[in-house]
Amino acid sequence: MFLFKVENLTYYYPESERPALNNINLTVKEGEFLLVIGGSGSGKSSLARALAGLVPDFYGGKFGGKVFFNSHDLRKMDRRNLGKEIGIVFQDPEKQLVMLSVEAEIAFGLENLGLPPEDMLRRVAEVMGFLNLTPVKSEFTTNLSGGQKQKLALAAILAMQPRVLILDEPTSQLDPMSAEELLNLVKRLNEEMGYTIILIEQRLERCFHLADRILVMENGRIVKEGPAEEVARWEVENSLPFVPPVARFFASLQQPRLPLTIKEGRQALGRYFSVSGPQGGHQPSRQTLPNLLRKPVKKKKVLLEPEPASQLKDVWFTYPNGREALRGINLSVKKSEFVVVLGENAAGKSTLLKQMAGLLQPGRGSVVVAGKDTRKISSRELAREVGYLAQNPNNYLFCDTVEQELLFTLNNLGLSCEDRAVEILLERLDIARYRKVNPRDLSSGERQRVALAAVLVARPKILLLDEPTRGLDYRLKNELGLLLRELAQEGLSVVLVTHDVEFCAEHAARVIIMFDGRIIADGPPEEILNGSLFYSPQMNRLFKGYAQGVLTVQDGIRALALNGDFPYVVQA
Amino acid sequence: MSYGFFYRPKGVFLQTLHPSAALVYLGVLFLLTLFFTHPLYLLAIFLALGLVAWAAEALDAWETCLKVGLGMVVLIMLINPLAVRAGTSIIWSGPEVPVLGRLTISLESICYGAAMGLRLLNVISVFCLYNCLVHPDRALGIFSRFAPKSALIISLATRMLPTLARELSEIKEAQQTRGVDFGSGSWRERLKRYSTIFNVLLFTSMEGSLQVAEAMHARALGSGPRTCYQREPFRPRDAICLFAGGGALAAALCAKYTGAGDYHYYPQLGQLFSGFTDLIFLAAVLAGVLAPVVLSWGWQKCSSLRSKI
Amino acid sequence: MWCRHKLFLKLMRFFLFFCAGAIFIYVFVCKEAAAEQNWGLFSIFLILLVILLFYWVFERSAATSREIAVIAVLSSIAGIARLPFAALPNVQPTTFLIIISGFVFGPRVGFMVGTTALVVSNFFLGHGPWTPWQMLAWGLAGSSAGLMGILHPRLGHKGMTIFNFLWGYLFGWIMNLWFWLSFVYPLNPKTFLLACLASFWLDTLHALGNAVFYILLGRDIVKVLTRFRQKMEISFLLPAK
Repeated sequence: MFLFKVENLTYYYPESERPALNNINLTVKEGEFLLVIGGSGSGKSSLARALAGLVPDFYGGKFGGKVFFNSHDLRKMDRRNLGKEIGIVFQDPEKQLVMLSVEAEIAFGLENLGLPPEDMLRRVAEVMGFLNLTPVKSEFTTNLSGGQKQKLALAAILAMQPRVLILDEPTSQLDPMSAEELLNLVKRLNEEMGYTIILIEQRLERCFHLADRILVMENGRIVKEGPAEEVARWEVENSLPFVPPVARFFASLQQPRLPLTIKEGRQALGRYFSVSGPQGGHQPSRQTLPNLLRKPVKKKKVLLEPEPASQLKDVWFTYPNGREALRGINLSVKKSEFVVVLGENAAGKSTLLKQMAGLLQPGRGSVVVAGKDTRKISSRELAREVGYLAQNPNNYLFCDTVEQELLFTLNNLGLSCEDRAVEILLERLDIARYRKVNPRDLSSGERQRVALAAVLVARPKILLLDEPTRGLDYRLKNELGLLLRELAQEGLSVVLVTHDVEFCAEHAARVIIMFDGRIIADGPPEEILNGSLFYSPQMNRLFKGYAQGVLTVQDGIRALALNGDFPYVVQA
Repeated sequence: MSYGFFYRPKGVFLQTLHPSAALVYLGVLFLLTLFFTHPLYLLAIFLALGLVAWAAEALDAWETCLKVGLGMVVLIMLINPLAVRAGTSIIWSGPEVPVLGRLTISLESICYGAAMGLRLLNVISVFCLYNCLVHPDRALGIFSRFAPKSALIISLATRMLPTLARELSEIKEAQQTRGVDFGSGSWRERLKRYSTIFNVLLFTSMEGSLQVAEAMHARALGSGPRTCYQREPFRPRDAICLFAGGGALAAALCAKYTGAGDYHYYPQLGQLFSGFTDLIFLAAVLAGVLAPVVLSWGWQKCSSLRSKI
Repeated sequence: MWCRHKLFLKLMRFFLFFCAGAIFIYVFVCKEAAAEQNWGLFSIFLILLVILLFYWVFERSAATSREIAVIAVLSSIAGIARLPFAALPNVQPTTFLIIISGFVFGPRVGFMVGTTALVVSNFFLGHGPWTPWQMLAWGLAGSSAGLMGILHPRLGHKGMTIFNFLWGYLFGWIMNLWFWLSFVYPLNPKTFLLACLASFWLDTLHALGNAVFYILLGRDIVKVLTRFRQKMEISFLLPAK
């Protein structure tokens, strides 16, 4: 008996010529954990909305084919029953919460369903207990952290006791710890409570192995469907990026069995390093292990050390509300350096960027950017030297066309730019075809690139980016990383704040870890990320005790080759 | 820019009242301030309100409110004497003014202005207490029983406000780093710059409104008749406050009926003490008004009373 | 979907008659009560009644979740627009935002945006005895702009600027009415005039602020909101094959 049965589903959004869903056929069994992956714009979210009955009910547009839920036609189902049976959690917790306090928020859906008061009281209490929300039950929802907000959104849906839980990129706006907590909850809901889960995700490291079945979507079609191992192999064969590193690594080794988690992976890896198992993880003897760490380069004495692009000397900063965000920061960023700043929430990462952009000024100490003290020049003068891209690219877009956005920056700074140069920049960011298009009509990845273009058009010497990887899929993230690396090579200094350790391992030239307003580590990624407890990429955890300095899949393959007794042909 | 709610949880007795009891109590206070014209009554109510503010640990907020009110009191005390020629004890007689006629200031009109100023302070104090005592969400909970859609709109808009404030400052920062200088230029240029920020905010949040609507739709909003989640316990203290409020109101009505609590300012100031009935009614009204304050004091001092009420 | 304005107009008419009747009865039947200066009390009841009536109309309407979300967002923006300007006397972009919302989305939305913006911003600035009057004034500003949108949809930039300007004074007079009814005696045209004179400069600032905001921003915002209004109308097309 199938819970969902989708037959020849085709769907066009209103005013759209391209089908968002194209001839989808799909069945979902009761109790299944289904993971849907694919790039942005591949139709994942539309599929989720079709299964939740929001497409076409809420959006309108052209709809063809049939969706059956429990062998009832979804479109003929009463909205109330639909709400009782199917729950959906969306991307942005800010856009889902409607009430002022936690308890009222959970009750909102139940009130809409018209449940009797005793029933509501019980459900609200149970859900709050299960998700550990009781301590914050009368808190204003605005005061919760991002992770708590998303947990509350989930709680509000769970209280409605649906049979199916659809989650549309629920972790894309969260930091890694909250994301992990949420996904663990989802896993528990599936394994212990028997919920049917349909999860759409970009961060695959934490959920790839959880799924019973994975769907890969592209251009509104399902291009591959099967268990995780099979999908991982297929993706690597077709060089698609949507596989977490461990699975990618073993898939490229063409092993008969494909480990998906670090634990399984380390067991499998043991066979290649048959001599002596992993060496004591904490103090590995560097001589005996394959070592990818760069040899420390002796500093050549340069007569004239080039002036750093940005220099912070003993910077302290306290917000008006009393939070001391920076404590004695010393940092110097050189020309064409690509620096990635890691750290947990409220560690002072964004404050650091704002100091460098001149949006905040140090309480003590000094910030010198391109030879100018930020306290002594106006924000407008500074804007010529520093480009700053905040988290939300939407904040940059208000003109009627992409071109006007670029001209807006130029006019403000009193700069001129040849038409040709604008064209080249737009081409480079792959948005030249949208030159005359309203930026608000573009997808989120494209919007980010427009915002980036609007910043880069002033040719700054230093570029600051605040969590640009948030909500991007693997492919877009990789493109962004490559672009930034290229820009850095051409002489731009890039400072980027992120939570994404994998991105950092792949692209950074220098890593800084911040904690509680201080810099606690600073150096090349091989050194900083290697063997770190929390800030180590998957591949590094996999190779811990087997090889030193492995950060990416390529590194892993090289390490195996160094080891000598590598029995399989490398295909990479 | 960061905006805190006016309401802050302080864990005082008066904040633990059932919102409907608190609303009724405050409503009675509000009515009482508009009921009486007798300066003694007005003054007594003012002092009682001060005591309530003390019990609610809201003296600082009360002070701020009174400061705001003082500006308007000055206005009242100016308009009344200047415009009114009903008083007989004229202190000062001014020149002829076109529309208004001859300006005169009488003792009666000054007194009337002062009494009305006091009334205004009373009214403002009642609202100040409302701000400090009633959690907006709990008040909305009551309101949503009668007008669910409007209550939803209010709660949604309130929830969005701090988010929008944050977005507003983020947009400002983004503009600053693109070379917009908010500190210079003529007022016209500045206004134009600030208005661009609002434009961006409008764009972004209108896009967001669609997502919000979708989330509400998915949570079965408008799928049929709605029920109401009740989470407020009704305790003896709420009953006591309701009774006290009702009693005060009844006493006030009786006073009104017998003419106590009224005072004639024009044409000549009346007697301040016109008999003991005035005082008796005043005591009755005050007893009702202050009952919750006494309860609050007992609740704080006596732990056995805490669990009983 | 936006304005079931027939019902709305009917109710408005009914309501105006009701108000006129109530005032008539109060003045000529309860002469004594009027002499006792309880106009302050009476007016509060009247105002609350008006507001409740409007809310009742809204509750009875078939407002969709989209409409609810849009009203909430607009009122939140209008509310927040008030806060940074709280220090400046009477100059704020709230009134003109409310007027534009009403003009684009109709009288019902206009009224709801006006009243909600006020309630919400007062959670942060503090509620006071002025709350119901401000609610009424802004609500009427929104709904009258909505009526304008229906009766004269091609009012044009100039016309709207004047409309905004006038509402600066109207708003002030409504607020004066409160002040005058509650704290001034005797209630005659002269005292009211005096109250209006006292607030003349403040009202002028308000009116000028409205006009300037509208001249600078009106076109853009009307454009944005109209675009969204079109987006919000769901269109079901023929089934795709």
